[in-house]
Amino acid sequence: MYIRPELQALRVDDTPQRQAQAALREVYENWRRNGPGWQAEAEVAHYGGGAALEDLPLLSALFAPDEDSADAFIGDLVNRMLDRLAAEPLSQVPLRTSTNDTLSSLLIAKHGTTTLVLQAIDGAGLSRKPGPQTASFPPTETLERALAGSAAAIRVRALALRPDGAAMTCEPIKLRPGSIRHRIGASETQLLQHVPAQLVTLKLQRRTSTSAVTREYRLSDGQLVHQAAGSPRESRLELSAALLGRMGRSDAAPLLAVMAEERGSSALRWQALRECLGLDSAAGFTALCRIARDARDPLAAAAGALRAQLLESYPELAGVCPCPA
Amino acid sequence: MNLPKIDLSALPDLDTLTGVFGSLANPVRAMESDDNVVIIMTYVYDVLIP
Repeated sequence: MYIRPELQALRVDDTPQRQAQAALREVYENWRRNGPGWQAEAEVAHYGGGAALEDLPLLSALFAPDEDSADAFIGDLVNRMLDRLAAEPLSQVPLRTSTNDTLSSLLIAKHGTTTLVLQAIDGAGLSRKPGPQTASFPPTETLERALAGSAAAIRVRALALRPDGAAMTCEPIKLRPGSIRHRIGASETQLLQHVPAQLVTLKLQRRTSTSAVTREYRLSDGQLVHQAAGSPRESRLELSAALLGRMGRSDAAPLLAVMAEERGSSALRWQALRECLGLDSAAGFTALCRIARDARDPLAAAAGALRAQLLESYPELAGVCPCPA
Repeated sequence: MNLPKIDLSALPDLDTLTGVFGSLANPVRAMESDDNVVIIMTYVYDVLIP
């Protein structure tokens, strides 16, 4: 294997690489501390906390029609990085990045689950993939500005939601530099169909609900094909509950009972309840009865049915929580 | 009170199952098109900071 001399030298002494990396990080930190970075991060935090866009001067300018603030903001950051990279091409941009053969993302600012992301879509990569069969609707609010390139897309709206599907409408749209789209993800999503060359967009996203789910519907008939947790936290908690159950940690049953009765996603609460019942039938059954009794609780019907099933299988549970009837 | 040990497999799931965050039935085109929030993990940067 041929290894270029400059890389071979770094194997012996990586000091130049460390220095180059430190220099690039300094450029980035300077943008964050003394450039527009601090304001972007502060406003992303406020936006994530529920602030209105018009109260945030930088972000509202980035997504205002007929303004070139976005080009200047991104150009400033990218040019600072590129100047350093031109001198030290082996250094790595300290912003979080991800890339595949179609989509490249650069995380400009982040606070919790609120993000400001620069994305580039490669049209050739996109054209190699099969057309979309489904549309997914996450619990997020998205503002998107096209900075460069163009695309043909469809705007998909989910109108009448049913437990097993939704009535959807599809409308073709064009994205051009300066195009601004705003959508509430639970009812509207956008599917890219064709990108002639590249499409570069700036996306500002915040979560609209911490306990809502992402629903994925089939485009041809609106059938619900998949439902997923709307936040990574929900999934982490569910995995933790399952792990405590597999470990036989009966000392965690009171905690699982509290989780089952908290506000939050039904899926997470139900799994916490199942694990609690498996670990400690008294604690679990008490929580189950309380949920079943609260008619406003979305899990009341399922909990009532399970309570009846358990009482039939294990009549002795009636002593834990006598049936109010 | 002598209470039973309930077998987890006997406890039903909800009618509609909910997958983990980010899971999709048709992920081939999803990342490029929709608004699922991407979590970008840090891999090597921290190693390289002196």
